[in-house]
Amino acid sequence: MRTKIAVGAGLAVAAWLLPYGLDSYAIHVVNVILIFAVLAVGLGLCMGVAGQVNLAQVAFFGVGAYATAILTTHNGLGFWVSGALALVATVLIGLVVGTPALRVQSHYLGIVTLGLALAFTNWVTNAQLSGGAEGISAIPVPTLPGVDLSSEYLYYYLELIVFVLALAFGLFVVRTGLGRRLRAMRDDSLAAGALGAEVPLLRMTAFLLASVYGGVAGVLYAGLIRYVAPESFGIANMFLLLGMVIIGGRQSLIGCVVGAVSLYLVREWLADHPTIAQLAYGAVVVLVVVFAPTGLAGLPERLRDLLRRRRGESGTAARLAPFRPYAERAGQTSGTGTPILTVSAVTMRFRGLKALDEVSLTVAPGEIRGVVGPNGSGKTTLFNVISGLYRPTGGRVEFLGRDLTGSSPYRLARAGMSRTFQNLRLFGDLTVEENILVALDRSRTLGAWRYLLGPIAVLRQDRELHRRARDVLDRYGLTEFAALAPKSLPYGIQRRVEIARAVAAAPSLLLLDEPAAGLNGEEVRQLSEIVRSIRDSGVTVIIIEHNMGLVMSLCERITVLAGGRIIAEGEPAEVARTPAVIEAYLGDSMDSDDLPSIPEVTK
Amino acid sequence: MQITLQTIIGGVSLGAVYALVALGFSLVYRTMGLVNFAHGNVVTVGAYLASTFYLSTKLPFALAMLVAIAVTGLIGLIIERVLRPLENRDFDLMLIGTIGFGIVLDALVIMIWGATGRAVPSPVPSAPIEVLGLRIRTYDLVVLAIAAVATVLLVLFLSRTKRGAAMQAVAMDHEAATAVGIHVGRSNAIAFMIGAGLAALAGGLVGPLLYVSPALGGTLGIKGFAAAILGGFGSIPGAIAGGLAIGILDSFTAGHFQGYSELVTFLVFTVIIMVRPTGIFGERTVNRA
Amino acid sequence: MTTVSQPATTTGQTLTVEGLTVHYGGVCAVRDIGFSVPAGEAIGVIGANGAGKTSTLKAVMGLIPRQVGALRFGDVDLTRVPARAMVRHGIGYVPEGRHVFAGLPVEKNLLLGAYARKWNAETRATLAETYELFPVLGEMRHRLAGALSGGQQQMLAIGRALMSRPKLLLLDEPSMGLSPKLVEDILAVLLRLRGEGMSLLLVEQNAKLTFEATSSCLVVENGEVAMTGTSDRLRHDPQVRRIYLGL
Repeated sequence: MRTKIAVGAGLAVAAWLLPYGLDSYAIHVVNVILIFAVLAVGLGLCMGVAGQVNLAQVAFFGVGAYATAILTTHNGLGFWVSGALALVATVLIGLVVGTPALRVQSHYLGIVTLGLALAFTNWVTNAQLSGGAEGISAIPVPTLPGVDLSSEYLYYYLELIVFVLALAFGLFVVRTGLGRRLRAMRDDSLAAGALGAEVPLLRMTAFLLASVYGGVAGVLYAGLIRYVAPESFGIANMFLLLGMVIIGGRQSLIGCVVGAVSLYLVREWLADHPTIAQLAYGAVVVLVVVFAPTGLAGLPERLRDLLRRRRGESGTAARLAPFRPYAERAGQTSGTGTPILTVSAVTMRFRGLKALDEVSLTVAPGEIRGVVGPNGSGKTTLFNVISGLYRPTGGRVEFLGRDLTGSSPYRLARAGMSRTFQNLRLFGDLTVEENILVALDRSRTLGAWRYLLGPIAVLRQDRELHRRARDVLDRYGLTEFAALAPKSLPYGIQRRVEIARAVAAAPSLLLLDEPAAGLNGEEVRQLSEIVRSIRDSGVTVIIIEHNMGLVMSLCERITVLAGGRIIAEGEPAEVARTPAVIEAYLGDSMDSDDLPSIPEVTK
Repeated sequence: MQITLQTIIGGVSLGAVYALVALGFSLVYRTMGLVNFAHGNVVTVGAYLASTFYLSTKLPFALAMLVAIAVTGLIGLIIERVLRPLENRDFDLMLIGTIGFGIVLDALVIMIWGATGRAVPSPVPSAPIEVLGLRIRTYDLVVLAIAAVATVLLVLFLSRTKRGAAMQAVAMDHEAATAVGIHVGRSNAIAFMIGAGLAALAGGLVGPLLYVSPALGGTLGIKGFAAAILGGFGSIPGAIAGGLAIGILDSFTAGHFQGYSELVTFLVFTVIIMVRPTGIFGERTVNRA
Repeated sequence: MTTVSQPATTTGQTLTVEGLTVHYGGVCAVRDIGFSVPAGEAIGVIGANGAGKTSTLKAVMGLIPRQVGALRFGDVDLTRVPARAMVRHGIGYVPEGRHVFAGLPVEKNLLLGAYARKWNAETRATLAETYELFPVLGEMRHRLAGALSGGQQQMLAIGRALMSRPKLLLLDEPSMGLSPKLVEDILAVLLRLRGEGMSLLLVEQNAKLTFEATSSCLVVENGEVAMTGTSDRLRHDPQVRRIYLGL
């Protein structure tokens, strides 16, 4: 912490003194670099943090600059009024460009945003209002009482303040709830949705952020250069910007700034040989992608990793601490009352294949229900239908008395449903603690305005969330792993993190998809204890499992699926004796005298 | 009616070129699940190579084209080899990697051929033919014929040859393909090489239609990509239908909106993609998006 | 079938696996497993889901990263042979589930099974044999593989592997998702292949199928060998049922 403050203070002094050592051309370069840095931070937020491919950042930049230019020269408005209006215009355009993200992702989004960026350049090159290919010159000098902003030295300080604010705000977003949700969505939008993150709104937020930064950079650019022309906002600069973000490190905003500064300096240094510069940074982009995908910002971490491996240090020697059971909810009566979940005649077809065939089941509050069946019998499909990942071809799903058939996963999650996944869907680039935090944080994305108007409240809430996350980690014996990446942990611990995360979302119904897969005997025993305690705290549990020992001892009722149909349902001992079940598992019932006697199921 | 037909005809030849570009995109996507953002720049390289051999070494147009295809095929091989470590791992990173290659190729083009463009004369008599009152340029017919032949050859290659079948198998299930003895990396390399060859063919053909300049590939690449998506990414009939559709759309917007044609084209394209993200023929073979 | 009356198999090759270990991320899916498949024999690997059966098979094929003490097929050391070359050493692989080339016709799928051979008259003959073994595939030869039913796809996957004329066939859960009638059909095919002298390594969840198709079995649990023995003995062992039904 102290070193951080020292470095920060050092940087502040250096930034303050910088203009004194620079000639007028150099200060101009620095001013342009700062503008690119703001742009890169915006692109980093959208593409690196939120994972939304955005090749229209340069168009946002252009909208900001052009709107300022048009409003000042054409409508005769003052610079700052124009700037504010330009920012509004950019945000509107940003939301339009972001709309396709609701429907398409990855390369599709890439081409759509690129296309819209080209549409923008096409418009400014042709429209009379924007001065055609010549652009607009003679933008008035921005006025500030007592400061002559026509001096690039003084303009530098204005830009510096804006840049620091922009970077600080970006870091603030990344390190608090909103940023965590954005990063969670980038890592695994499915799991994020299942934890209640409103994925569509978050995608729009990403574009909103990108456009705000683009707009701010555009206004600054208009005030600095006081001339706008189409080529400043073309594809070449878009790729330059992309190079800055990739080389610097997509997922780190500081990395984006470093990338912007270094790439622009290289370009400036090779100003007389622009093609060589282009060749160089293109090659560097390729090399970075292949050899250092985390960019410059990720290098220290990689070096540390390499050193650790050289020294032959093994990974985590830390051990999982014991689970601390929940307080039992008094008056818990299992198996009574109105059902928490009713699945009625659900059918799910995939291209003619019937994965589920008229499946009906009812789960009472406080129950632990087991769903078993051979591979490919439709168990996970059933979970996907219940949790809203699939819309069933036929039938209804009622949760807490409401018909929620085909609702989006995040709505179901917010209604009180939580799940784990067969193949573990932890957010790989978030720490264990952050994984828990994403689930704990129930604030809505629409409440993100508080980032601007009430940052203190946001910070306070975040501190409270951290406290609760530490609680959860402590309860699940995960405190030692809080700061580690889930991927670095042994499988059994990852499984426990996923359960802790699902329960942290405070569900009334918890769906566990093969929680014991890959666990050893002792771990299975602990799991059984954990699940029972979760139930005792008032959560209804449905569990898909192949480990029959676990299912038999844990569940009150078992539903057996085979070939997409329910072939048996009842108490464990009863179900295990059903010939159809034995056949589904062993191939046929064989000689029934081979069957061992069934022990009483103890709870 | 007459004007409408004339507009369609005006768009078809450029549409055929878009279709070729789209075919290259689709082929690589179909076999590797990768979008090659350097494809447009390979088109530029192809256009310059073909025009250079045609204009300065006085090779016949067809031969110049073949040389161009061979050289760009080599470029495709290099791109695939460099990015191979990322295959089946991180497609977004690979996508950015191809953008990087695009930047490099763009710079190389400017270094070798300069920033200004060149006009390529039509290799066939330029007088248009009149059919039923419609004016059709002879070169348009040549473009259409070559595009059609290339498409048929590609379809035959994929459906009739062992290598073609193997390439499709890799796209469908690379593990099962490995188990029957197919070298997945080599199959991908060949896909990339053919994709680059198709780009060069498109670039060579478009030379006499448009002005050959460093910016050529950017436009063609984006329109070709849009065509591939419009038709249904990865689908061969889709690439052709999408290419022709974009070509005709272009021709209409050029007639009705003049300078703003690009703007309108992309807006229409965006709306279509949002309404139907799988395109006309859907994404049937691979679904990694 | 007796081994003495089969001169063809005396020149056959034994698959030997020693010390096979597979790690997935943090989890050890398979721990130090060893077994051998003598020429002309059928060996089964059974166990509950998630026990590490599929990983074992994929690791033998080299489709996933593995550590292995020794891996030999006859005199050939396979430890450094890439997955794509296994077929050229006479090892055929039938993957789990529906891993056919869904977008290609049935016949193309089968021909691709013979990718490592020349597509000539001899291959045509093998194709005819395959159609004879699976008449339904002959009827559907121009249909897209993805349009077949689950059972037909399984037949196709087996047929595709047979097209390379393997000496040893690795099968991963051929009964998965099939009805009892179809499982019977698969069993008949496996018995016939065994009768022809082919070695089989069968990974299965369906214990009955495995016991009838193989001569001896490994029971795996949590990535380790829990029991071994002849199929006849294991068939009546209550321990097996305990592992399966969790009783």
